Formats: sequence, C-alpha cells, structure tokens
Amino acid sequence: MAQVRIEHIFKRFGGVTAVNDFDLVVEDGEFVSILGPSGCGKTTTLRMVAGFERATEGNIFIGEQCVSSSEKNTFVPPERRNIGMVFQSYAVWPHMTVLDNVGYPLKIQKVAKEERIKRVKEMLRLVHLDEYAERYPHQLSGGQQQRVALARALVARPGLLLLDEPLSNLDAKLRESMRFEILALQKELGITVVYVTHDQGEAMAMSDRVVVMSRGVVQQIGAPHEIYTNPANKMVADFIGLVNFLPGEITSDGKVHVAGTPTTFANPSDLMGKVTIAVRPENITLSVHSGIMEGVLTHRFYLGDAVDYRVQVGEEMVRVIVKGADLDTIKDGQTVYLDFEKLLIFDKD
Amino acid sequence: MGLLGRINSKVIVIFISVLLLIYFVVFPMGVLVFDSLYQNGHINFSNYKTVYSTSVNWRALTNTIQLSLLVMVASVIVTFPLAWLVGRTDLPGKRTYRTLLVASYMIPPYVGAIAWVQLLNPSVGYMNQVLQWLFNLQQAPFDIYTFGGLAWVLTLFYSPFAFITISRAMEKMDPTLEEAARVSGASPLKTLVDVTLPLMAPSILAGGLLVFIAAGSCFGIPAIVGMPGNIEVMTTRIVTYIYMGDDNGIRDATALAASLMVLANSLLFFMTWMLGRKDFTTISGKSTRPNMVELGKWKWPAFIGVGLYSMVAVIIPLISILVTSLLKSMSRPVSLDNMSFESWIPVITSSQYMESIWNSVLYAVIAATIGTILSVFIAYLSVKTKMKGRSLPDLLTIIGGSTPSIVIALALVITFSGNFGLNLYSTMWILVVSYLVKYMTMSVRTIAASLSQVHVSLEEAALNSGASWLRTCKDIILPLIAPSVIAGWFLIFMPSFYELTMSLLLYSGDTKTIGVLLYELQTYADTQNASVLSVIILAIVLVGNLILNKLSKGNVGI
Repeated sequence: MAQVRIEHIFKRFGGVTAVNDFDLVVEDGEFVSILGPSGCGKTTTLRMVAGFERATEGNIFIGEQCVSSSEKNTFVPPERRNIGMVFQSYAVWPHMTVLDNVGYPLKIQKVAKEERIKRVKEMLRLVHLDEYAERYPHQLSGGQQQRVALARALVARPGLLLLDEPLSNLDAKLRESMRFEILALQKELGITVVYVTHDQGEAMAMSDRVVVMSRGVVQQIGAPHEIYTNPANKMVADFIGLVNFLPGEITSDGKVHVAGTPTTFANPSDLMGKVTIAVRPENITLSVHSGIMEGVLTHRFYLGDAVDYRVQVGEEMVRVIVKGADLDTIKDGQTVYLDFEKLLIFDKD
Repeated sequence: MGLLGRINSKVIVIFISVLLLIYFVVFPMGVLVFDSLYQNGHINFSNYKTVYSTSVNWRALTNTIQLSLLVMVASVIVTFPLAWLVGRTDLPGKRTYRTLLVASYMIPPYVGAIAWVQLLNPSVGYMNQVLQWLFNLQQAPFDIYTFGGLAWVLTLFYSPFAFITISRAMEKMDPTLEEAARVSGASPLKTLVDVTLPLMAPSILAGGLLVFIAAGSCFGIPAIVGMPGNIEVMTTRIVTYIYMGDDNGIRDATALAASLMVLANSLLFFMTWMLGRKDFTTISGKSTRPNMVELGKWKWPAFIGVGLYSMVAVIIPLISILVTSLLKSMSRPVSLDNMSFESWIPVITSSQYMESIWNSVLYAVIAATIGTILSVFIAYLSVKTKMKGRSLPDLLTIIGGSTPSIVIALALVITFSGNFGLNLYSTMWILVVSYLVKYMTMSVRTIAASLSQVHVSLEEAALNSGASWLRTCKDIILPLIAPSVIAGWFLIFMPSFYELTMSLLLYSGDTKTIGVLLYELQTYADTQNASVLSVIILAIVLVGNLILNKLSKGNVGI
C-alpha cells in the first residue's frame, strides 16, 4: 500500500494551464476524491499520477518511488508505477474473456497459470462475477463490465487505485449500489484510492477527503462535511449542494444588510463592504406568521419527501426546501416569512 | 386520400428504382453467368475447362491471385505503420502527410502507370537514369515491365484503400483500451501486440481485402505496365478476347469474367461478414481523447521516412508527368530550356482531343445527375423507411460497385446489344449505364450517412403540417442533406470522367472518351501527348476534389 505525494504540479498545454499548482498528500489507505466541473483539470491530474501525461512542473511520489519529477527529469512510464486504474469507458478488452481480462496484469508479471487462475477467481468472487469467467465483454451489462475493470485493476494488488469517473456511464440505481461495492472493496483491501468525479453526491458519500477543483486550481481540500458546511468560497458553495446567493453589505455597525430589504443579521465573518450572502435551502425556515424577512410565495414544487418553494424577496428569488411539508398549507401569492440559519458570507466576487 | 397518396408516391418511386437496378445491374450479370455456363444447349462447365486448359489463361489466373496477394500484403505492411504514425503519434506535419498518403486515391490508376513507365522503364526512365548517374551503374537498376514492377505500381496506387480503412479503425478505437494495458504492466510494444493488433485485425484484413479486390480488378495498370513485359492477368486476357471480336472470343471472355466476378464478390461478402462480427467491435467510450504517443528521438527519422515515402508514392510521379508534358524534345535531356508549353498547343487545338474531353465531361455529368437522384431515393429507402426489402436497392448498388469494371462492361455488351429488347450498343447510354452501375454506390453511401443524421421528427413535423411526402422531400429533407448530395454528385462525376476500363470496351467512333484516348496515345508510344492529357485530367480531378473537400469539410474525397 502506498502514500501518494503530489508536490506543486503544473500541466501546461501550449499557453493553457490545465493544472495550476496542485499540491496534495494522500495518506496510505485513504480515499480521496477530486471533484469539479468538466474541464477543471481533475482528469489531467489523475492522468499525471497514472503516467499518461507528463507534469510540466513538480514532483509525484508513489510510496517511496519518485515517479515524476521535472527537476530531476525523471519519468516512470505507467507500466512501472504499480497502480491499478479504472476508466470511464471501462476499457475492457473485447477480444478477451473475463478471465483473460482480469488475469492480464498477472500474465505480464509471469505468474504461473494455476496461481493466476486461482487469484482471478478470488478477485471475481469479490466483485460478484464468479459465474462469468468464460464470458466475453459483449455478453455482459455495463455494470458487469465495470466490475471486470475493477477486478482487473485490483488483481495484481497494486499500492494505489485510480478511478476516472468510473460510474458515470451507469444508470442511477446501479451507480448507487456500485458506490458501496467500491467502498467495501477498498476497506477490505486497505488500498489507497484517488477517485475523480464530477458528481458531488458520489464524492461526499465515498471519500475520506474531497479536493474541489475549478479551472485548474484547487479550491478547497477537506472532509466532506467540512466542505459542505464550511465552503472556502462561492464556487465551492455553489458546486456542492444547493445554495441561495443574495447580495448584501456589511456596514460600520457590524451588521449584514440584505440588499433591497430592511433585514439585517449579525456578521459571522470579518469581511466589510459589499458581500454575497449564501444560505442553503434546507437551512431556511418558512412561516406564515413571523420571521426576520418578508417575501411572497410564487411557486411550489412537490418533491415527495419535501416541498421546494420559491419566494420572491425584493428583487431576488429565494429557494426554500421544507422536509415533510404539505403542499397545500400555503398558497401561491401568500405573504411568507423566512428565518435563516448557518449563514455564509463571501466576498462579492 | 392524404395518407394513401403519401404511401403511393413512396412505393412508386421505390418500385421504379428497384426495377431499374434489377434491369441494369442484376440482369446483365445473370446473363453473363448464364452465357458462361451455357454450351451446346446444356448448362455445364465445358467453357471453363476450355478456357483454363489454355496455359496463358491459367497463368493469367495464377498471376492475378499472386499479384493481388503480394500487393495486399505489401500494402498492409506499408500502411499499418504509416496509419499509426499519422494517427496516433506526435509526428510533425502529419496533416499534410495524411492528405498526401490518400492523394494517389484520386489519381487515375493508368495515369500513375504512365508516370512509372516514364520513371522506371529500362532504357530512358528518369529515375533509372538518376540512379545510374548517382551510383555510377553500367545499366538501369530497375525494369518496370516485370512482375515486381507491376506489383510496385499496384501497391502505390491501391494501398490508400488499406490506409483509409486502417486509420479510420485506429481513430475509432478507444485509446483507454491501450492505456488499460499499460497500467496493467504492459510495455508499449507488448500493448501493441496484445491489444492494438488483435483489435485492429478485422480492419487490417478488411483493408487488405479491399486492396486485393482492387488490384485484381484493375485493368489500366496491368495493361500499361504488364502487357509490354508479357505479363498477363485476368483483366488483360478478357480485353484481349473481347477485342478478337468473334463468338469464341466473347465466350472465353465470359468464362474469365464470371470467375473474376465470383472471386471479387465472395471476398467482399466474407469481409462484410467478418467486420460485422460482434466480439470484435471495439466499444468506444465517451472520453476518447487523442492520446498521442511521443516519438522522442524517433520523431525526425520518422518524419523523414514518411516524407520519402510520400515523395516516391505521389510527388515524383506527378512531377514526372508534368515535366514530360512540357518537354520540347523527348530525346534531349531534361532542363529548363528544353521546356515550354509548345507541346500543349496541338493538344488543346486538336478537335479530336477536345471532342473526347467534351464527351467525357458530358457523360460524367449525365451519369452523376441521374445517379444522384437515384441515390437520394435509394438512401432514403434504406435509412428512413421500415419497408420490407428496404436495403435491397442499396445492396444492389454495392454489388455493382464491387464488381470489377471489366465484368460490368462485358455483361452490358452481351445484354444490351439487342438480344433482350434494348440495344444500347455504340451509344453514349451504354457508357452512362456502366458508370452508374459502377460508381453509384459511392454517392448512396455518402447521402445515406447524412440522411441518418436527419431526425425522423423533422420529417414528421412537415407531414403533420400537411405536406405530401414528395413535398416534404423537397422542402425539408433535400435542403438538409444538400452538401452530401452535391458531394455524391462529384463522387460519381470524377471517376466517370476519367474512367478507362469500361469505356475501352463500350466506346464507339463517336463516343470516344478521354480515358480511351489517353490509353491509345500511351500504347502508340506518344508519351508526350499522353502526358499533356494526363495533366489536364489531373487538373480537373484536383479542382473537383477541392470542391468536394470544401463541401464535406474534409470528410469525403476520392
């Protein structure tokens, strides 16, 4: 098993900086996700760890081995990095059976045939594919192919497992169950994992720590609840979960004034001047009697376990989600009152 | 009435195109096969026995198979690394190289043969002379009029078939399939052997078979390069027999032609079957990013290697033809003061030459126009309807396209000389029909590909608005597929314009085409006028290709 140290790496394509000063230590046995919108540099980062891209600057260590260093001009090719990798497209070889696919890394290592088959069968049992050893990939479903890819990545007991959006080609139900399977496997094998995804739910549910990236730059690194409750900036707050942004101003009286309303709050931050107030829809209480902010209910959407309200406050539309609410207790056009909890204050931009 | 009217116009249009195809494609080939088997009132193989007991015919058959195999293997060996270098590495100038490597695809094969005869004939070949001078040799190092020379020219001109097939498959292959092998511990070479080659195998074989069929069906190159050296192949034998003109000649020709047709079409069906096999289709992911292999220290050697190949395969032959067309005196050495446009004047002012050019343009325009209209209906039928037998017309055009030209020509001669009601012999229409049979499949393919991009709801919306089916075609479908229709037109026009093999068997005194004229000039050893004419053909083809390229944004070209 291995610790991964990524030290200040940069990746430039011509004039474009795809990855800008990425710095991270993934501890031995840790599950870290790199999360961000498409084009944010997360896959490029992963491919530099895998050895498919060469970092323009910086060092990468897997365990004690320096696999990539711009100063020392070291570059270890992917086949000598002792890693397992699962790709978004599964990349299961169509001309080989499941057995041959999973056994391929062992074949390269020249593991004797009997031993090889034994270990492949063991691995297939772990991913619940013991019955399918002789099948060809086209006879398997997408989820089964992804399990083959997972088994192949793990069969040679690598120190590090890299996953590049492994679940994004699967349907929603399967995606959920695969999350838990991957986690269970990781705990059982104690392997270090770097997981790339654009799905925040996936990152939150699976990871010990999450790295949020945007436009090549790391925005925040932290445990999932830390990132959710205490986002470092507007981008992170917006990308993770739902959020309302309201313009506001902090004046010399130390209070936060919500623009266009008489409402004020105590300032939880040390900022001054024009700010953006952020509050998550589930941290707002809605009442027909009283609250610190007044608004008019314009739309309601029934979500089953909750009701999603849109409330017009001054010029802004505020989204409020109330768990277990009844759709018809409040009508459109009615005046409502809001109370905010867990306010977040960010710089205006 | 509305619904009924729609169905009726569709059915009528489709019924007519199927009938036409059966009459002009299937029926003549049937007649050809029947004639080859019908002897003294019985169906038997005596014809074949007689033909193949003549040693020259038997040798033509073995020559054809050996040559085609050799050309196929050589093409694959040459094009696989080229396709990989151009498609999957950071080779400098690969865009230009890609264009050059498929360029010989648009040069008429017989023009290429003429160029190589100029370059490598043992007495005055330009390249031979240069090599003799460079290495101080007593005699010419190469003789084009040999089996090897014939294989060389065929390989240069038909390897683009393999190049296009192989590089298309390489581009379609999901690069993560190779990356998965790398992280599994395989070196780049091991990855090539274990993953890339097995996955590409069907496409490599398919490309190879295309080359095999093309080389075996080719007449122009063997006629110009092989016949002077007494190397006979099936196509040259067939033409020789037909030129004998008597019944025996025609009968022998039919047996040879039918064998060639069976050989070519069965290979093609084998190839289609193989490519359709499921366990070899490569699943392509969504995240196919071009993963370019870094060549490192091999970058510039590879650049020079590919450059040399492109020079030899494309640029030198073209220069040779251009230079020859400009020479004032063929007997004096090549130099700037021995060059001018003087020799062009008699060609351009000759009414005989101009008439041939005009004929070729006219017939190609007629064939392209009729062919494009038919192609639209055939493509529509196979892509957009659910009718029974909807892909039959498409299949018939594919069969026409894959049948060797010489076979089509012979089949048309024996069928439409009045024996079965219609007599087209010696008219321009027999030429037009032959071009349609051979080249329509190209435009059907192009138009079908673009039709399949037009969503059915667009058409339904028009029908819903009250437009008839024909009206919908005119107002909605045609404007959307217009670029591919024009591309389809050129895809018939260009090969018809410079067609040689079929024209040679079907022309008459009044309908001589540019290809036939050029062939005559070359066989009468009038190299200079042949070169001038070649340059004119190349110029027209080049302009056509530029238009085609512009219209299809680089996706279609000959």
